[in-house]
Amino acid sequence: MTSTEHKHAPILKVANAAISYETRYGDVEAVRDVSFDVHRAQTFGVVGESGCGKSTVAFGIVDFLGPNGKIVGGSIKFQGQELVGRSQNELRKLRGDQISMVYQDPMQALNPSVTIGDQLAEVLTVHRGIPKAEAWEKSIKMLDRVYMPDSANVMTRYPHQISGGQQQRVVIAMALLNNPALLIMDEPTTALDVTVEAVVLDLIEDLKRDFDTAIVYITHDLGVVARVCNYVGVMYAGEMVEVGSVESIYGKPMHPYTQGLMRCVPKLGATKESSILYPIRGRVPAPKDRPKGACIFAPRCDYATERCLNGKPQLRELESGHRARCFHVETIDASTWEPPEGLVPEITPVGEEDGKEPIIQVRDLKTYYEQESKSLLSLVGAGEKLYVKAVDDVSLQVPPGKTLGIVGESGCGKSTLAKTIIGLETPRDGEAHFLGFDLTLPVSKRDVELIEELQMVFQNPDSTMNPSYSVGHQIGRPLRRFSAVPGNQVRDEVIRLLNAVRLDGSYYNRLPRQLSGGEKQRVGIARAFASRPELVLCDEPVSALDVSVQAAVLNLLMEIQHEYGTTMMFIAHDLSVVRFFSDYVAVMYLGHIVEIGPAEAIYAPPYQPYTEALLSAVPIPDPRAAQKHIRLHGTVPSALNPPSGCPFHTRCPRRESLPDGGKICEEEVPPWQYNTEDHRIFCHIPLEELRKLDPVVTTD
Amino acid sequence: MLVKDYMTRHPVMVEPTMSIVEAQRIMAETKVRHLPVVETGKRLVGLVTRQTLRIPPTELASLNVWEITRFLSNLKLQDVMVKRENVIVTEPQVALEAAAQIMIKNKIGALPVLEDGVVVGIITEIDMMAQLTELLGGNVPGVRATVRMPNRKGELVKLTGAISEQGWGIYASGGVPTPKDPDHWDCVIKVRNVPREDLLAVIEGIEGQEVIDIR
Repeated sequence: MTSTEHKHAPILKVANAAISYETRYGDVEAVRDVSFDVHRAQTFGVVGESGCGKSTVAFGIVDFLGPNGKIVGGSIKFQGQELVGRSQNELRKLRGDQISMVYQDPMQALNPSVTIGDQLAEVLTVHRGIPKAEAWEKSIKMLDRVYMPDSANVMTRYPHQISGGQQQRVVIAMALLNNPALLIMDEPTTALDVTVEAVVLDLIEDLKRDFDTAIVYITHDLGVVARVCNYVGVMYAGEMVEVGSVESIYGKPMHPYTQGLMRCVPKLGATKESSILYPIRGRVPAPKDRPKGACIFAPRCDYATERCLNGKPQLRELESGHRARCFHVETIDASTWEPPEGLVPEITPVGEEDGKEPIIQVRDLKTYYEQESKSLLSLVGAGEKLYVKAVDDVSLQVPPGKTLGIVGESGCGKSTLAKTIIGLETPRDGEAHFLGFDLTLPVSKRDVELIEELQMVFQNPDSTMNPSYSVGHQIGRPLRRFSAVPGNQVRDEVIRLLNAVRLDGSYYNRLPRQLSGGEKQRVGIARAFASRPELVLCDEPVSALDVSVQAAVLNLLMEIQHEYGTTMMFIAHDLSVVRFFSDYVAVMYLGHIVEIGPAEAIYAPPYQPYTEALLSAVPIPDPRAAQKHIRLHGTVPSALNPPSGCPFHTRCPRRESLPDGGKICEEEVPPWQYNTEDHRIFCHIPLEELRKLDPVVTTD
Repeated sequence: MLVKDYMTRHPVMVEPTMSIVEAQRIMAETKVRHLPVVETGKRLVGLVTRQTLRIPPTELASLNVWEITRFLSNLKLQDVMVKRENVIVTEPQVALEAAAQIMIKNKIGALPVLEDGVVVGIITEIDMMAQLTELLGGNVPGVRATVRMPNRKGELVKLTGAISEQGWGIYASGGVPTPKDPDHWDCVIKVRNVPREDLLAVIEGIEGQEVIDIR
């Protein structure tokens, strides 16, 4: 239907919409002047950092803004009918019949006390008056349609009995049961693992094609947008600053903010040298502090002139279908962009110092969690003990001053490994040495000196900072505890640390709630580095942060590491971030390390099949990049009863290449194969075969 | 070629209680000529076309200027629409030509497509014409030839055989009985990336067949 495309009017037409929230400071305009169209079988991506008004737009479409939110201007037309000003009653009818929504957290959309079958069938019995038995049949069919394994059985289960990826599929199935014309998805895959996310994104793509549904897709992830969207709107501080097709926005971003965003994102395909991250300086202004009558991005823009401060640019069409809100688009050439001084730390690569003893050495480490069996005997203590093998036979070493990245899906044992090293869990077996200290002791029995040398940066700065102590007090605590500096110099040292993480002395007396997410994480980093540790463990330090903040924090970590010569272990689920940050990478699956080696070696063939699958699932923020299509089926098996032989054999896509359909994988534990001295792969498939694999990602 | 592949999914739908003024505005806004009228659950209760919105002047003749305004603003779609029992519909699994026959027979421009009483789409004469265009390759460049051949078995094979012998491919084709001549059959083919003269020479080489138009 090439010639007849676009003959229809758009399903959704948003024109100059403005949305305000009533607050105690008066009405705050969260979103203004937002316009876009969504057609049948098209996905319109709304992308931006948190606080930019993405979700407000989504909620505004169906007026889910809550009692203090209201649409104050513009029009939102669905199938030609104005939605602004409709009564809640009329909207409810429309939402049930023609508009569906899918949110980030599937558990919030599902009722935990009702079976999945009843929840799905209810949609049909209530909205369409279909008899229960027929609704049940239709629901099973829809579950099959979203590739739910064993759908008839899933119908009788409760939401907590299926995995997160499956829950999200149930929610998508529920949204599609009424065959909606418009589907609004708010970060539907953000809470999912990268391999599960890849499958769900494929599903969304298939459904869009088969059902001709118009989709509004809200996300912060530029990689996801490149994979699923046809058109993109980039939002900044409540305004849409650039709109266009995916190809044109990624190929030739016009607005300085879009260009800045692209420079913030670590790219998987690029080499480590070329993937320097350039954060956008400053931060997104709060709605009440936004510049009035001026370009909203001007305070952070490298190209801002007098004109930008005195007048507000309009969204104007620059190429067919590609619009941007900037006065200077014609004169800006992104390829000649130079980072302003001080934005990116200059880091000269550390020379290879051969023969240096590894600073930390872990051999055959095992951390098991004991679980009582369900048999009656266990009540009297005679039952068989079961163990969750969270970390099983892990061996690794890190040379001083280097970074080891640890990646894997959730539940693969990354965090347990970190907790074992830091002493929060006691290993069951194995050795771990660090600077002559024995790491198998729990933290309560460790020397203060060891604790001083081994610090941690946590994922969520909110839950690791005491909300009622000032920032200065919290950073000062390790200084006092370890007597790192004399008592009367603690304050100066704290201020020096604050400066090191690019915060000024005025932050000393602030409370955590007065800081933004990025600032809190900086304080967390300052605290970890306060005692000048030799080794810092970072557990997902940037996964809760926005891309532009993430870039700044990563650069900061690298700079501090360079200055202090600290060794780091960096745990993350994002393979592009790990690639950017690490010298060595370990890939974990079900408690085992399946591949470990220098970062470049991990991202090029030979691959362990699991590494290959992980890499092919990563969304790449470049629609032109070619990526292998490997999807893992099923979920990570339970660590309580791990598969025999190779732990990955139940999901391995390459197993068939071995004789007997990979029987050996089920029966024997694979050998460590050494590609080079420090790059080893845990697999039965001969290295020669693995070397023949094509690279997963190819850019031009 | 079934209705489900060519219908417009998610058609613009309206409610029976909507005013005709609003319906007219929606038609203009979305450039749609047929509005299925549905109640909760997208169940079809009627159909509104431009014609049904045209109120016969006789109905207004007895009213004065002030009453006309009130009359019009009180008029709802349920008062003017074609009622469900008179709406001719089709189903997703129906063949495209069968749906076309229904439209020809009843001289109507659109068929709501229903599945279990629920509107899942609409198919209009425009959709049909779009398919006719596709069928004959109207939207791609190439040489279009109309060949008249005797109405007997084996003639079409001669034509396709001669073309594939040259290594060319037929992009689109269609055949109809020659108007007012039951002994012949007109076949239209579209061949891409071939000079017009070469194609003409090849077809003229086939015995008993005649090129009546080439462009």
